[in-house]
Amino acid sequence: MQNWNLYARGDKIFAIVVSILIGMFTVATLYPFIYIAAVSFSSGFAAQAGKVVLTPVDATLEAYGYIIKDPQFWISYRNTFIYTIGGTIMSLLFIIPGAYALSRRQLKGRRFFNLFIAFTMWFNAGLIPFFLNMRDLNLLDSMFGIILAFAVNAFNIILLRNFFEAIPQSFEEAARMDGANDFQVLWKVFVPLSKPAIATITLFCIVSRWNGFFWAMVLLQSEEKIPLKVFLRHTISNLSDDDEFAIVQTAAGFSAETVTAAIIVCSIIPVLIVYPFIQKYFEKGILLGGVKE
Amino acid sequence: MSGVNLSGIVKSYGAVQVVHGIDLDVAEKEFVVLVGPSGCGKSTTLRMIAGLEEITAGDLTIDDKRMNRIAPKDRDVAMVFQNYALYPHLNVADNMAFGLRIRKMPKAEIQTTIADVAEILGLTDYLERRPADLSGGQRQRVAMGRAIVRHPKVFLFDEPLSNLDAKLRTQMRAEIKRLHNRLGVTSVYVTHDQVEAMTLADRIVVMNDGRIEQIGTPMELFNDPANIFVAGFLGSPPMNMVNGVLTKNSAKIGATEVKLNGALANHVGREVVVGIRPEHVTLKASAKTSPLPITMDLVEPLGSEALLHARFGKQEMVFKAETKGDIAPLWNVDKVHVTTDLVKLFDAQTGQALNLRG
Repeated sequence: MQNWNLYARGDKIFAIVVSILIGMFTVATLYPFIYIAAVSFSSGFAAQAGKVVLTPVDATLEAYGYIIKDPQFWISYRNTFIYTIGGTIMSLLFIIPGAYALSRRQLKGRRFFNLFIAFTMWFNAGLIPFFLNMRDLNLLDSMFGIILAFAVNAFNIILLRNFFEAIPQSFEEAARMDGANDFQVLWKVFVPLSKPAIATITLFCIVSRWNGFFWAMVLLQSEEKIPLKVFLRHTISNLSDDDEFAIVQTAAGFSAETVTAAIIVCSIIPVLIVYPFIQKYFEKGILLGGVKE
Repeated sequence: MSGVNLSGIVKSYGAVQVVHGIDLDVAEKEFVVLVGPSGCGKSTTLRMIAGLEEITAGDLTIDDKRMNRIAPKDRDVAMVFQNYALYPHLNVADNMAFGLRIRKMPKAEIQTTIADVAEILGLTDYLERRPADLSGGQRQRVAMGRAIVRHPKVFLFDEPLSNLDAKLRTQMRAEIKRLHNRLGVTSVYVTHDQVEAMTLADRIVVMNDGRIEQIGTPMELFNDPANIFVAGFLGSPPMNMVNGVLTKNSAKIGATEVKLNGALANHVGREVVVGIRPEHVTLKASAKTSPLPITMDLVEPLGSEALLHARFGKQEMVFKAETKGDIAPLWNVDKVHVTTDLVKLFDAQTGQALNLRG
């Protein structure tokens, strides 16, 4: 803003309006985080009475104490890690070679396959056929089923394919002249050159796996297999109509709201930890396909 | 012997034929330059030798072995690309070692090979650097290093200097030539720059529209171009061409007669294209010259000489003249004197060179 005086009047108004909009957006995005964190550290009474606005009221760690004593919390936390790490690795194993193949001009039927993949972005079978499909494949209530079934994502394949396509062909040709086969070209040249794109896709996979809720709820029945988000859902529905819990919480100083908030905070922390490491790639990655480097 | 032989090589993309049956013999240790305008098929031909393009018809042999269906990696050829194609994520040493590692050469041997080649190319101090931290000339050297470490039978160069600035290009051109003299590896080099072709080649192959126009040493092609295309392509500025009709002892261009030596008696009235190289004129008349009246448009000083842009009738022509330190007098030139021995004649219909002067 040091050149503010050099701005034309219209530009000034534009800058002000944009700043206000960004400010509003920031508040709208950030406030739920702050609110949930504040609730999780507040007493059950304060939360129920709606006294929490920005900062914890009657600060306490009771809600956290309650959830960390629940073995199911730790089981579902572990499961979420398994789904996230296993699912992300599985996804990358499918997406990277898939995107590479689709980006190669020598692939016979390339246009058809590309259309085929893109088609799934707009149309899919829907809930019941998918469920029946999983049932017939014996993948209901199966941890491997969850990891496998959502490994391929058309958007990620297309994103990476575009990035691969933008890599000059001469890199591939140089590698071939150097004696590399298809796999060596992919793993020794294309993958290292595509770090930003792969980091972006990895983050997309991590976040979607970590937050995966709906299909896990539909496909998993055993308590020992559910991820954190499903556990959260169970907790919310159990606590709200559990009379015994209502008596305990009054004595202990937490409530259904604060426990829920505490679980949410716990579920956010790992993503917050991972993000800074991938951020620099992620920001580049968002522009992928738009600009040919 | 590590020669390259192309016999009736054809390349088609679908129904479109882009290379129409090329025959070429590159002898062992020879440096052959394929030159021609964009789209003439020279790069495609090179890529067919490399194995990066399939050969539609014809035979390619390297070292007397048919290579048509052999994978690039098994042809024992190395290529230097126009954009260098250095792996940006690897440092100079790893770039050069890439192919050797894939071929499972022992580590110690890789190290000595790279050290030797880096020494030759003056890259020893840069081995740890990434390509992004190198200048254009250094990158070019790494690209050559990557080719050299493999000790291939044939080097292929695909316009390797076109991304460099003029000064560096001249310097690298000399380096490539020196390197070739030192290593003696059979080389095929593609360029659209006729200066590169003239300076580097043992033999030049001039291509146009998917066909070979002429093959010969640089001076053969310069002195005796087979046709108008070759005559116009080699030489800078290009040869001036003007339509004329033969008389008993001259070529009549408009109202002007350019004297010619030789027996033209049987060809009187034949329509020809008269070719005059810019440097084959003088400003002073002599017994061996014939005057050509011109109107001066522009004088471009180059230092010791100048380019005279002039009109002969409606035809634009370019000539070279010595400046002798001052270009002002050149503006007043209204006549150049063509050295009659050096005038080239081409058939007006076929464009082929005519040698009528016996």
